[in-house]
Amino acid sequence: MRRSFGGTYWLLILPALVLMVAFYILPVLSVLVISVTEPEPGFGNYALLATSGPLHRVLATTARICVITTIVTLLLGYVVAYGLAHARPTMRGLIFFGVVLPLWVSVLVRAFSWVTILRREGLLNNALLEVGIIEEPLRLLFNEFAICIGMIHYMLPYAILPLYANMRGIDRRLISAARGLGASRPTAFRRVFLPLSLPGVISAGMLVFIFSLGFFVTPAILGGGRTRMIAEYMSWLILDRLYWGPGTMIATMLVLTVFALLWLLGRFVDLRRLFGTAT
Amino acid sequence: MNEPQSHAEDCADILKQDLAAGRISRRDFVAALAALGAVSALPKRAGAQAGELVIANWGGDAVRHFGTAFGQVVEQKTGRKLTVDGGGPSMGRIRTMVQARNTVWDVCDSGAGDSLELGRLGMLEPIDYDIVDRNKMLPEFAYPHGCANYMFGVVLAYDRRRYGDNPPTRLADFWDLQKFPGRRLLRKQALAMLEMALIADGVPFEQIYPIDIDRALRKLRPLARDALFWANGTESQQHLRDGECSMGLIWHTRANLLKRETNGRIDWTFNQGILFPGIWIVPKGNPAGAKTAMEAIAAMQDPAAQVKLLELMGNGPANPAARELVPAELRSVDPGLAADRMLRSNGRWWGENTTIAEQKYADMIGT
Repeated sequence: MRRSFGGTYWLLILPALVLMVAFYILPVLSVLVISVTEPEPGFGNYALLATSGPLHRVLATTARICVITTIVTLLLGYVVAYGLAHARPTMRGLIFFGVVLPLWVSVLVRAFSWVTILRREGLLNNALLEVGIIEEPLRLLFNEFAICIGMIHYMLPYAILPLYANMRGIDRRLISAARGLGASRPTAFRRVFLPLSLPGVISAGMLVFIFSLGFFVTPAILGGGRTRMIAEYMSWLILDRLYWGPGTMIATMLVLTVFALLWLLGRFVDLRRLFGTAT
Repeated sequence: MNEPQSHAEDCADILKQDLAAGRISRRDFVAALAALGAVSALPKRAGAQAGELVIANWGGDAVRHFGTAFGQVVEQKTGRKLTVDGGGPSMGRIRTMVQARNTVWDVCDSGAGDSLELGRLGMLEPIDYDIVDRNKMLPEFAYPHGCANYMFGVVLAYDRRRYGDNPPTRLADFWDLQKFPGRRLLRKQALAMLEMALIADGVPFEQIYPIDIDRALRKLRPLARDALFWANGTESQQHLRDGECSMGLIWHTRANLLKRETNGRIDWTFNQGILFPGIWIVPKGNPAGAKTAMEAIAAMQDPAAQVKLLELMGNGPANPAARELVPAELRSVDPGLAADRMLRSNGRWWGENTTIAEQKYADMIGT
């Protein structure tokens, strides 16, 4: 982008920017400020980060679920993206269709579909019982396992698409060259393809992790009221108990965490390319 | 969706389902639509029309049923036409209304805890027990700023299929995982759960309050490890119906629905349940005047009207004199008739301790 165009472009987005600041950023900030004003001015709410046992447990649960979700999503997503990058055009179209299709289905519908499949008298348990593999229904639903399944399902497209974009950019001739120099298929993959795809893995992983932090509906439905993640905890503090101070403190910390992760991500990959703005 | 729900809100939900399931005739449906349309929840005029008395409840068909049950007695006593507004008299709405000096409700269907909290904030008219008869409700359910209008229970429900001829009969059985294996269903809020844990632990009814929170949580913890937790009535019904849980502590109105829809597979008992009052409150500055509102409350203490509400919604009469009027087929579902086998909830204790109790309870679930 040349400098002379820059000024004009900024003018064009100015109205949108003003709207965003006035109706989004300022209101959000004014809510976050409550974290240092209620119940009394100061950083008392932030001290809870060090002292509150319940908060520690919620944070640990959130971190555990988000890390598991991210790792499994990356593994599965990597395989699909690899397949996509190497498939013939027709096949690629089909796979793409399958990857993108769930994006149009509401998160609520998807969570309830998992309930239907995983519940005690659900599709999976009934099938396994019929076949005789199990004698008692398995406990698949209303635990962290179910939450992870629901979240991984939701997050897969967000991992596959950046991974695929990255893999498409890898020069295939490098693999051929490695093979030509005597590397076996696994070695060529491990020493050439995998390292080249790492930027994709990192950006996909960050995206998935950041999204996972905010999950609310999926844990609420698939967790059976047992597992509290950070989003639900915040909503409980603010809406149910009217503890705005601690609630907004957590919100502030969450926003800062996301920005920190994005900054970290920016050190590894070109964010503009990741979000599709670079030409 | 997972917001904790009050019993009154759940009643509205149940009635919505009745409508959808066709358990209500088309004529009734049209009448309900008219009723709902007439009392749109939108902030309408700044004050009720002259000659009207406005009751606020939680919407759905409860609007129509309150009207059917109480319309006549209120008109007779106060000379005013009863209007029911399903706008949901939450603490927040009442507070906003009173502070804006724009109260449009005369009498609201609330709970003991809310009545104490709003009373403390000076948002409510005190109940005038010279007009409202203190003897037409259980003594525990007469509060300074609210009094009982109906009763409901949290009860032990269980799956007959799992326990056959030897079903659980008391709360100790609910805690006995050896004799009664299977997943348990508890409420996501501490209310009633703490009391039930102590009863199961052998504490006599009269010593439950003040609640020893830590003792109750110690008792609950081993069960909670494997239990599911319901936040709203629909969820509680679903977990038992689907067989996810084989025993649960749920509202009696939901337990009764379950029994009906499963042809008795899910059964329940009032035994050692917790008895709660639905509470009438009168917001400060109500349009018809405090005295008229008190007269309306007094009128709705009429036993026949309260039995009508039991018939329509499953909410038990608050007036002990109504017990004799309960028809034979409803006697098993009236919490009032089982009142002596149940613990009467102490709203005062909860008014003072809700915050700490809920915090500790929620933390117990998470660990």
